[in-house]
Amino acid sequence: MLQRFLDPSVLAGISGLELVAKTVVDGFVSGLHRSPDYGFSQEFAEYRAYSEGDDLRHIDWNVYARTERAYLKRYRGETNTLVTMLLDASASMGFGSRGVKKIDYARYLCASISYLAIQQQRDGAGVLIFDDEIRQFIRPTTRQGQLARLLHALESAEPRARTDFAKPFIHFQSFLRRRGIVVVVSDFYEKPEAVIHTVEPLRFRGSELLLFHVLDPQELSPKFDRPILLEDMETGDSLDVSPVYAATEYSAKIEAHIGTLREKAKAAGIDYFLLNTSRPLDEALREYLSLRQGRM
Amino acid sequence: MGFLAPWFLAGAVAVGLPIYVHLLRQHESPKMPFSSLMFFERHVQSSIKYRRLRYLLLFALRTALFLLLVLAFADPFVKSKAGAVGTGRKLVVVAIDNSFSMRAEDHLGRAKREAGSLLATWTPESQGLVLAFGSSVQLMTQPVTDVAALRGAVQAITQGDSRSSFAELARGLRAVAQASQLPLEIHLFSDMQKSSAPISFADWQLPANAQFVVHPATTASEPNWAVESVSAPRRVQDPKKARVQATIAGFGAPAAERRASLVVNGQVRESKTVAVPLNGRATVEFPTLEVPYGLARCEVRIDSADKLKGDDQFYFSVDRSDPRKVLLVHESRNQRASTYFRAAMEAAPEAAFQVEAFGAEQTANVKPSKYAAVVVSDVASLPPPFLEALTAYVRGGGGLMIAVGPSAALRPRVPVFDEAIGEARHMAQGGQRFLVASAVDAGHAALQRVNKFENVRFYQTVRIDPGSARVLARLDDLTPLLLEKKIGEGRVLVFASTFDNISNDFPLHAAFVPFVEQSASYLAGQGARPPAYPVDSYFELRTAKEQGIAVEALDPDGARALSLAEAATASSLQLNRQGYYSIRAASGRQELAAVNADRRESDLEVLPAETTALWQNTGQGPLTAVQGGEAAPFRLWWYVILGAILVAAVETWIGSRYLEGKAGAS
Repeated sequence: MLQRFLDPSVLAGISGLELVAKTVVDGFVSGLHRSPDYGFSQEFAEYRAYSEGDDLRHIDWNVYARTERAYLKRYRGETNTLVTMLLDASASMGFGSRGVKKIDYARYLCASISYLAIQQQRDGAGVLIFDDEIRQFIRPTTRQGQLARLLHALESAEPRARTDFAKPFIHFQSFLRRRGIVVVVSDFYEKPEAVIHTVEPLRFRGSELLLFHVLDPQELSPKFDRPILLEDMETGDSLDVSPVYAATEYSAKIEAHIGTLREKAKAAGIDYFLLNTSRPLDEALREYLSLRQGRM
Repeated sequence: MGFLAPWFLAGAVAVGLPIYVHLLRQHESPKMPFSSLMFFERHVQSSIKYRRLRYLLLFALRTALFLLLVLAFADPFVKSKAGAVGTGRKLVVVAIDNSFSMRAEDHLGRAKREAGSLLATWTPESQGLVLAFGSSVQLMTQPVTDVAALRGAVQAITQGDSRSSFAELARGLRAVAQASQLPLEIHLFSDMQKSSAPISFADWQLPANAQFVVHPATTASEPNWAVESVSAPRRVQDPKKARVQATIAGFGAPAAERRASLVVNGQVRESKTVAVPLNGRATVEFPTLEVPYGLARCEVRIDSADKLKGDDQFYFSVDRSDPRKVLLVHESRNQRASTYFRAAMEAAPEAAFQVEAFGAEQTANVKPSKYAAVVVSDVASLPPPFLEALTAYVRGGGGLMIAVGPSAALRPRVPVFDEAIGEARHMAQGGQRFLVASAVDAGHAALQRVNKFENVRFYQTVRIDPGSARVLARLDDLTPLLLEKKIGEGRVLVFASTFDNISNDFPLHAAFVPFVEQSASYLAGQGARPPAYPVDSYFELRTAKEQGIAVEALDPDGARALSLAEAATASSLQLNRQGYYSIRAASGRQELAAVNADRRESDLEVLPAETTALWQNTGQGPLTAVQGGEAAPFRLWWYVILGAILVAAVETWIGSRYLEGKAGAS
């Protein structure tokens, strides 16, 4: 029943990113039933003695009751994991053929990750919204109200301008102080070599990189029954395209692009996951985490 | 192949519409925003090819539809031998002028010979028609291809005495063109008299698509002298008092002396020489007209020595008889009216009446039928037998004049006339000394030559209710002065005053004599017949009362002018020949009608060449007829329309399929 609400087009009808994220994550969690380990930093590491300044919410009060000593329950990632989401808000992300635009899907994704990280994992989460410039950057933190800030930033991210990975990522490297998880959500309309070349330095600085490639089904396999004039949403250029070309040559090219990007990412030690906006988001997340689990 | 309405081909420019829509107008593919064109290339050939394959078919269909519609409106035709019989040829019209002027120098004979020469070059396939014209058009044949029939028709044309009228010819030709629906080739054989031309150029209009060829009988105007008119009395009682006045005219002729003769029954009575000025007229007068009793054939003849002999004499007829009696009934005590009336009648220049006067009480045994007319002058009462006889006389066709004065005003109604008599008025009693005539019908036969009637002073008048009578004259207070009523076959004139120089001073005026004479002539039925008639005028053969009685008419050649059926039924006879018609009318009276040609025919001035050319041009250019032997047009518009409907259906089907695809795509 819940699955019905996780359809992207249904999610688009829900107002408020927090509710969307909660819906997605709850569905996602219920799909991972009986799985003891979940989350991006799900590995339990140790108990640590409380020291001044620690968040009281992390005290394991059961241990305290037994031992009368305050211990903090710590997970492996929790110790040093900060999730930073890099959301591509270029104009091409505004494309959507079936009601849900790619930018909406990407926002749901980022909101869900934020919710999962902050509410479920107690991790710090931040977001960087970019196109050819950095439009907004919220540093990853665990401070109270961070989720609301993130959701607000995501909600205000409207697609515009062109995609340029180089400039924002160079700036982002200067912001990155700690290692963590960097999630890049984009349609990656750039040469795979250039994308990997741009994001690879983050990997070198110890961060774990995830590339979520968000594409519309019409982008993956366009179906035109007549010649059509396509207008590039970023450049404004237009091109007369025949259905035959779209069905044959274009499809081959986009598949080659995806394949190349996946190969290059894998070679660089970067996680790559293709998100079709027609798929339910929780299902896509679950699949990704399952793959991640398997890889680990 | 040709087009009956080629100007519609201009509509072919409408083909520009599909050309614009399909080729010139930038084709608008549906525009769709797409995330990136990174993986698309300018590989447009395939898409344009794909699109044009579909559009070119629609374009071709739409262009064909427009062209077929334009073609249908242009009414295409092909020449088909199958439809050529009798329909595709021109109609050759041979028009020959047989008017009076064609008598000059045998112009008609020459015209007929030239027409024969034209027919010698006749092609067997051509259709032809022969007509003769004067004042009217006479079709000698129906449209035929038989040249022998056409030659016969030409030879059958006889000389007429009518006046030629080109307007009538043009009207006849228009009727022929309308009836035959064929282009005409008109050959006119005429002396092309200028006087035959109508005043309005619109009357010359030839039928459309007519070729007009003129074969003039003469090219130069000829001088001509003619007896233009004759003034002579119709009835003569005293030959010594009868005068004949003739006008001799020269048309395009130099000044010359002509000898004019008065001929009676073929005998020259008197001759005179008259000097006719250049292009002018001269008058010759014969003071006496010695004619025997009865009808006399008279003419004034000149020795003109010109080419048109027919107008050298002017025919007129004269009837010599003893004066007819007019009965005047008056009050015995008042002889004044009788005196003045009798004196006026005897003073008339052409005195045709003799007055017999009776006192009213003496008329008991008088028979009005013995008199040409009866005048009752202010009588208070009449013996009943006479009144009864008088009423019967009027109803039988007699004429009666009643003067209503103070005596007659004692009666409530006018006898025979049967209208109420009002008051008798004396002008002096009303402060007004006299009345005068104001509204006078000068066109009436009894008043035609009554000049200065308005100078007559009326001191006493009687108001008569006009009732159904016609008022011929009124006084200035609008009192009826002279009234007329037709009773039975007769006529009654009522004069609302007297002839006695008491109630008025009418007898002392010059108007009195012509009034008395003309009134008597009018009531006696004289004056209706003129001494001469123009050609084409009508002679009245019988009155309404005389239906069924046979009449007899002989034309100038002595042949019967009427068939037996016409003799029994015709009410009039058209006098279409110059000369004397001898007619026995239904009344039994023998009449002699002298007929003369219209003297406008005597003017032989030829129509200017420029005017002839203008007339020819009214036929709207050269002949465009399908020549004989060639095919008649077979119209194709129906087939073209069928093709257009078929193309429209296919276009609709393909167009709807295209629209369905478009709707599905959107």
